Amino acid sequence: MQPSKSDIKSVEKSSIIELLYQVIDPEVGINIVDLGLLREVSVTVDGVVEIKMTLTTPTCPLGPYIIEEIQQTLESVASITDVNVTVVWEPPWNPESDMSDQAKHILGWN
Amino acid sequence: MMRKASPSRLVIGLLGVVALIAGLWAGLILLKLEIPSPRPDFKEIHGPLMVLGFFGTLIALERAVALGNRMGYLAPISAGLGGFSLAFGLPIKLGQTLLLLGGIGLFCLYIKSGQRQSSLHLGVMAVGAIIWIAAVIAWIAGRDVVLLVPFLAGFVILTIAGERLELARVIRVTSIARRQFIIAIGIFTLGIAITLIELSPGVRIAGLGLIALAAWLAKNDVARRTVHQFGLTRYMAISLLLGYAWLATAGILWLSFATLSDGRAFDAIIHSVFLGFVMSMVFAHAPVIVPAVFRTPLPYQKRFYVHLYLLHISLLIRLIGGDLAGDRICWQIGGILNEVAVLGFIASSGIAAYQGRKTASSIKVQKAHANVWES
Repeated sequence: MQPSKSDIKSVEKSSIIELLYQVIDPEVGINIVDLGLLREVSVTVDGVVEIKMTLTTPTCPLGPYIIEEIQQTLESVASITDVNVTVVWEPPWNPESDMSDQAKHILGWN
Repeated sequence: MMRKASPSRLVIGLLGVVALIAGLWAGLILLKLEIPSPRPDFKEIHGPLMVLGFFGTLIALERAVALGNRMGYLAPISAGLGGFSLAFGLPIKLGQTLLLLGGIGLFCLYIKSGQRQSSLHLGVMAVGAIIWIAAVIAWIAGRDVVLLVPFLAGFVILTIAGERLELARVIRVTSIARRQFIIAIGIFTLGIAITLIELSPGVRIAGLGLIALAAWLAKNDVARRTVHQFGLTRYMAISLLLGYAWLATAGILWLSFATLSDGRAFDAIIHSVFLGFVMSMVFAHAPVIVPAVFRTPLPYQKRFYVHLYLLHISLLIRLIGGDLAGDRICWQIGGILNEVAVLGFIASSGIAAYQGRKTASSIKVQKAHANVWES
């Protein structure tokens, strides 16, 4: 049976998140997925990726660097035609609830 | 694919680099080397050029980029033109006024950022901007440039401390740790304010604050953990930890000598902070700030360690051989090598940016070829 369009999108979305594990915040050496910076990831059938993400603070100097890294990582995939990253500030990033257990473990929370 | 480099941001950054080069030139004259001076009073503006013209412009530019508001760029433009104006000997009042506007602009950037999300670390950085403004007002009012040193240090230290507090959240800052941070910063800022009334006690109190802040950073900063990682993350962590060691050294020197009179102790007091701590922070963050601000890749390379270690070794030569032992040659060689390290950092970053851009273009070409084959 052929997968429906929504199935295709969900497969692609999970692959996109897999790719985003490669985008590292160099200051802490942890990827943006485990840091919990991603708020929403979606992809259209024609390969346009829409990402809503937050930053640890509005003055975060690494923001533009991380956005470039996301675009560079995803745009190297031939089937992705465009990548739009929007930074949102609500809800504010909260290390306690947003970071993964893996990230907390690396950073010595436990 | 890296976006096109931003020419307007590059021009603003270049204004900062002009201030840096002029500041380094003035630094060589202060090292009593026989090199020509463009003007008799040129060496006196070494501090304002390095701290406000270079570091201030780049910090304001970084904040303006993060905020993404066009008006925000007035802050780094003013600061950059202020440094440029001082460097080229335009009327001093013009340079001072532009630097004042730069400081006010930076403060406004923090207010705007605070409207998005208010926080303690933003407040600390905003106090840093207020200290910048106070320094320039005091300068315009006729206060000797040398007496501005605690204020110039206050601006950079509070800016950096605020950033580190923000980042420390990833390793869970307890309420006790936050209180300790506020106390350390409070002591330091109080000391700086007291220098306006009584110089030595103020410097000593600020020195205590520096020691407390260095101890706080040594205990709570994420660099303690990230130093065990690899590549750029490790390089940044090593630069940060070396910087904290110098911050503690500076605190001890401020507390012990508490002088701003020209001489060996003063040389050690200022350069432990501005070269050992601040420049190490600049070296640490350049590989991520340059791509963010100028939209040009700056891939990490192992050779970044060359200028980093040269900076710290040459500073040891300057402070131990020169300032402590009183050997003039050591002091001068150390000082010259300090400048070689800073210029090496600029050159190394320039080469890495050029190579990064070439690599980015070749990836773009490869992808275009792949798309052609797929279609």
